Amino acid sequence: MTFADHLVIAPIVLPTVAAGLMLMLDGRSRNALAAINLISTFALLAIAITLAATAASGEPGTAIRTYRLGDWPAQFGIVLVSDRLSSLMLVLTATLACAALVFSLARWHGVGPYFHPFFQFLLMGLNGAFLTGDVFNLFVFFEVLLAASYGLALYGSGYARVRAGLHYIAINLVASLIFLIGASLIYGSAGTLNMADLAVRVAELGPRDRALLEAGASILGVVFLVKAAMWPLGFWLPGTYAAAGAPVAALFAIMTKVGIYAVLRLGSILTGPETEGSVMFGAGWLTAGGAATIVFAMLGLLASQELGKLAGYAVVISSGTLLAVIGAGDPALVGPALFYLVSSTLAISAFFLLIELVERGRTRVDDVLAVTLEAYGLEGEEEPGEDGDSGIAVPAILAVLGVAFVLCGVLLAGLPPLSGFVAKFAILAAAIGRGEAGVSPDAWLLLVVLLLSGFVTLFAVVRGGMRSFWGPIEREVPHVRIVELAPIAALLFLCVVLTVKAEPAMRFMQATAADLRGSKAYSGAVLAEPVPPPAPPREGGSR
Amino acid sequence: MPDDALFLISIIALPFLGSFIAALLPTNARNAEAWLAGLVSVGVVAIAISFRPVLAAGNVVRAEYAWLPEFGLNFILRLDGLAWSFVVLIGGIGFLVVLYARYYMSPADPAPRFFAFLLAFMGAMLGIVVSGNLIQLVVFWELTSIFSFLLISYWNHNQTARDGARVALTVTAAGGLCLLAAMLLLGRIVGSFDLETVLTSGPRIVSHPLYLTMLILFALGVLTKSAQFPFHFWLPRAMVAPTPVSAYLHSATMVKAGVFLLARFWPAMAGHEYWFWIFAPIGVATLLIGAFMALFQQDLKGLLAYSTISHLGLITLLLGLGSPLAAVAAIFHIMNHATFKASLFMAAGIIDHEAGTRDVRRLGGLYRAMPITALLATVAAAAMAGVPLLNGFLSKEMFFAETIESHVDTVLDKALPYIATIAGVFSVAYSLRLIHQVFFGPPAKDLPRQPHDPVLWMLLPVALLVLICLLVGILPGPTIGNFLAMAVHATLGPQTPTYSLAVWHGFTPALFMSGVAMIGGVALYFALQRYLSGDVEGVPILGALKGKRLFERALVFLSWRWARELEQNAGTTRLQPQMRLLVCVTIAAALWSLFSRPGSLDFTWPSSADPAFVLVWLVGGICAVAAAYQAKYHRLVSLILTGGAGLATCITFAWLSAPDLALTQLLVEIVTTVLILLGLRWLPKRIEGLDPDMTPKARLRRVRDLLIAVAGGAGLAALSYTVLTWPIGNSIASNFLERAYTEGGGRNVVNVILVDFRGFDTFGEIAVLAIASITVFSLLRRFRPARDSIELPAQKSFQNRFDADRYTGGKDPLSAHYMIVPGLIMRLLFPVIAMTAAFLFMRGHDLPGGGFVAGLTLAIAFILQYMAGGTRWAEARLRVLPARWMGFGLLAAAATGAGAWFFGRPFLTSAFAYADIPILGKVPMASALFFDLGVFSVVVGATVLILIALAHQALRVQRVSSDAAAAPPTEGSR
Repeated sequence: MTFADHLVIAPIVLPTVAAGLMLMLDGRSRNALAAINLISTFALLAIAITLAATAASGEPGTAIRTYRLGDWPAQFGIVLVSDRLSSLMLVLTATLACAALVFSLARWHGVGPYFHPFFQFLLMGLNGAFLTGDVFNLFVFFEVLLAASYGLALYGSGYARVRAGLHYIAINLVASLIFLIGASLIYGSAGTLNMADLAVRVAELGPRDRALLEAGASILGVVFLVKAAMWPLGFWLPGTYAAAGAPVAALFAIMTKVGIYAVLRLGSILTGPETEGSVMFGAGWLTAGGAATIVFAMLGLLASQELGKLAGYAVVISSGTLLAVIGAGDPALVGPALFYLVSSTLAISAFFLLIELVERGRTRVDDVLAVTLEAYGLEGEEEPGEDGDSGIAVPAILAVLGVAFVLCGVLLAGLPPLSGFVAKFAILAAAIGRGEAGVSPDAWLLLVVLLLSGFVTLFAVVRGGMRSFWGPIEREVPHVRIVELAPIAALLFLCVVLTVKAEPAMRFMQATAADLRGSKAYSGAVLAEPVPPPAPPREGGSR
Repeated sequence: MPDDALFLISIIALPFLGSFIAALLPTNARNAEAWLAGLVSVGVVAIAISFRPVLAAGNVVRAEYAWLPEFGLNFILRLDGLAWSFVVLIGGIGFLVVLYARYYMSPADPAPRFFAFLLAFMGAMLGIVVSGNLIQLVVFWELTSIFSFLLISYWNHNQTARDGARVALTVTAAGGLCLLAAMLLLGRIVGSFDLETVLTSGPRIVSHPLYLTMLILFALGVLTKSAQFPFHFWLPRAMVAPTPVSAYLHSATMVKAGVFLLARFWPAMAGHEYWFWIFAPIGVATLLIGAFMALFQQDLKGLLAYSTISHLGLITLLLGLGSPLAAVAAIFHIMNHATFKASLFMAAGIIDHEAGTRDVRRLGGLYRAMPITALLATVAAAAMAGVPLLNGFLSKEMFFAETIESHVDTVLDKALPYIATIAGVFSVAYSLRLIHQVFFGPPAKDLPRQPHDPVLWMLLPVALLVLICLLVGILPGPTIGNFLAMAVHATLGPQTPTYSLAVWHGFTPALFMSGVAMIGGVALYFALQRYLSGDVEGVPILGALKGKRLFERALVFLSWRWARELEQNAGTTRLQPQMRLLVCVTIAAALWSLFSRPGSLDFTWPSSADPAFVLVWLVGGICAVAAAYQAKYHRLVSLILTGGAGLATCITFAWLSAPDLALTQLLVEIVTTVLILLGLRWLPKRIEGLDPDMTPKARLRRVRDLLIAVAGGAGLAALSYTVLTWPIGNSIASNFLERAYTEGGGRNVVNVILVDFRGFDTFGEIAVLAIASITVFSLLRRFRPARDSIELPAQKSFQNRFDADRYTGGKDPLSAHYMIVPGLIMRLLFPVIAMTAAFLFMRGHDLPGGGFVAGLTLAIAFILQYMAGGTRWAEARLRVLPARWMGFGLLAAAATGAGAWFFGRPFLTSAFAYADIPILGKVPMASALFFDLGVFSVVVGATVLILIALAHQALRVQRVSSDAAAAPPTEGSR
């Protein structure tokens, strides 16, 4: 093995080492911690891009890279797998992390202790969850990312944060317990924890084992749906995200996508072409659940007054959309769904960062007052607008924030011309354009909920934006630093790139979807006997 | 034709580029902005003119760029006669509006914002007309909505501007989404999103089962944009925009996008009577309502807005009739309306600008003060009224002629001539009112400003447009004939009818209708003159029909009240219901998948059981249930009972020959129980006992929760039992047993699994431990205990009171030393326990023990020191830096794992050897030992950090209570 082969594990080891170093320094110098964090996070981005490039090359030997920990055969040890889907998620994670980190350097990283270690631990957990090819190891990395997210959700303290954060912890602890139950049921019935091995064994199970396996899979599915905040399991999300600090929330944008990732991955493993559809995954009711999630999130969007809540519900909408689309069970929809995943995650992340800047210098009283004014203005007689002949020149910083806000709104609502629209269009075009006998009910459902949710998002974002930017209350111009604007600009720029380069991006997503369609290639690559390396001389009894 | 492609794309690119530059110019650069915008519009027109010869020959210019070809979404630019005439219209009027705006906008207005949005809007509008792909068309369509929103809200310090903009956006964006749905369906029907293909697939579209659905969605998109009844209400509200915006967007361009689309898709979709039944009635309704409402407006711009609605209704009606000749009239009227309405808006703006008000009642006799404006406005208004020798007359004549023809033989069709005449009457009346009341009659008094004609540059755009009205009206053939023919041919293709563009057609019924309308209109105006000049606000009869008010009421209801109520009913922010849902969903999911397929689960009941083992389990079970029962009211009892259940688990592990697990479980039980005990002190006061006055509802809730709990517990027990009694079969478990010693180098299989086979899991779990401890630490760092837990515990205050009563100085000399004996023992135990930890650590690979257990053991030694001596005492003597321990542990584990890289092996590959150490002899040295050292270090660090975090609560509370001047703090230990 050369050092390049170890690149697959680098996204896990690197943040661990970084976090270990930070703990060794024990908060001695915040700048040193920030420097370690920066180096590690940007290195992670580079590594992730390298892995994605290898996966995208599509050559049979390298498209699915595996890494056997401890050099054990795949079935007995733990194996990491880097394929298109994993590396895509790694790149997305690292991108958000870079943006959130740079943003936090202006101010947030000094608000409490241990921000940087938490940050690196979260990255370790996320990367591990995306890379692992083992069900129990997935649990371990879920634990890592959840534990780190508890710390980050509470980061900065304050009543709202602690309240929302403790709810979040309680629910996710129970979810972890359920995960463990599901994983042990799968191990008990199939006799393996390795996903690739599982895919092979599923087809050979007897009815007894099969029933138990499906119970395990369903229970596991509940956990992933909790993570993905499906209605009615996701009420914890808007409050937690709204209360979390801006860079934390921006990074949390990827967390619901872990649930989606797991549904996709295990769905692909457990429902191969040779096995009958599993109960948990690919059943029609995932679409119904996704649609219900969207409807609930739309109500939430309309009912929420703060921008933070609004962003929280935007996360739920994004999740619901993905669940509904994936649940429709049409392989042609998976590629566009992944495109949507990337676009919406970037946009939501940028939005979380942005609203912190927009809301800076405003108090809760302003919000309450604005709402009362609005309600009053509607109920009473129309006020004759002040006869202003001239507008007010907008300070440059507000103009920049305004432009970013409009872009975010357009992206979130899926309005033309940005990537949010491209994603929704591709989903709908794929859903409607198929099928010989008319448009399927699923496609109609998707058409209605996707367009309606876009409209409601637009409405809510416009309302929120008008209140923030044009509110009747005089506002101070927020003090914003360039390191806070740059990450937002970068994330939005990526969305623009995704729009312009929609074709190559979509090709990658379609190839990823094709990977997921059959678990054969995956299993084959993971379970293949490794080429024995020239055994180096070792002391004592080497195996 | 690469040059063609370049030119074609510049039609759209120029305005957007200009917009970008405009946004970057300084705030006061009015002239530069105007020059820029002017040049851009002239450029667009010039490019369009250069294409004219090609298009006149009946060709179509196309350029195509791949965007998302797999989904049929390409960027296609397509210029034909119809698109061409719109490009010229948009560019030309754009130029005049820019010129006008330069003098209209005040120097205090931020020019970059205005011109940047205006140019961007121009680009989007041009994008609509030259789009050759359905989806691309929707893209530009929505962009016009967004930029129109930004333009209407230009004066956003004004509440009405904000509201007007939002209503406009809400209505048009919703319509845009409907249009998107329609286009997606249309693409599905045709099999392509290419406009070319769609235009030639008329029969296929019309006969498709999805036609009606698609058409309704299409209509929603078109009708909202073109402000047709019942979606018309946004247009008058949008009049709060600066007048150049109104002139440009709300008369000449954006509102024409809807009717443009009707014309564009006319050949593909109009061939069915559904088309007639959707568009003709709505056109008629809009035509009449708009004309009627226009007459009663008191605001100049309001009058023009309703008149625009009415004219758009006329165009919709013409296109809805489905006859080619009517389509020709519609296209002609689109052009004519743009010219006279834009000039009228500009004139209204001039009046507003110069006189300071737009209220028709306050104005009067202005022809003396501003004769040129009066002249121009009069001609334009005459064109609007359809006076002969002006362009409005021609298209109106065509309209009248068309209404007489029969299309779909129905009542509506028969009534059309009368309806058209009535609309004409109103149209004449409001045009006359506009001119007569503003420019003639007694001169207005007390106007906010002294009116006079504006600068020449501001009149020039109006004059040019009025000139066009005149020229077209007098010499239609030579002026507009070719252009119209080009547009008509491009639209209708082979269906193009023969039509004549003459001023005089002889005495036709249409002329008679015109005459009636003219006389009727004049009569109507003078009949109503007194009423209109009075103090009337709003419109008679139709005044109750306030679309916008209804719309807003609905919005408030939908978006605040209903949404909030529904959100609260469909969701919750409370923790308990969420937990309940989570458990219920899990149970349901498990049950569903177990029992949805034919029965397969059968229990094998145990044949025999050791009574002692059963007893252990009975005790453990009772402890667990009792712990749950006491959890709410007696936390301490509950905690002790949990410990009992944990012990039962311990014994079970030992019983079933898993000493390693038993040992670990035992230590975990000890450490967690102690730590929780430390934390228990700071929880809020417990609620004493069950409330005797509990409502039946609450009781019911408890019973329900009990049932859920029983179901969950029983289900989990059943599942565990099933798995435990399952035949082992083809599991990887046996492999671990076989390989642990031969390949892992350890006889303790559990430890080999933990540090070798699945060492990576351990690697992750120690990270979890570290994270959990720093989370606890950072949470508690800022933690302030609740008020009711600051006081001393009951036992302690009782003791203090007792001491105070009994001893002088308030202190029992003995009680100050009550921990002295156990304390001493605990201190002495420290090295012993530390040694035990080392022992457990070293033997871990072969016998029960290992890094985790050793770490917990050492942590217990630390805990004992804190307990024995108190926080201050312990920390004065024993400085532990737990974060360092954890950091070291993580690095050690990672370094051990990465060490394998240097031997060309993957992470965490282990090697083992026997090292010959003096005195100790041969010691097994697996590389896993170093990994275990990392585990050990993290466990110690994490546990101690949590301990410190909890212990420091006591110190902090002392500070709090001493601040509150309560009893002086006693010894720091608890």
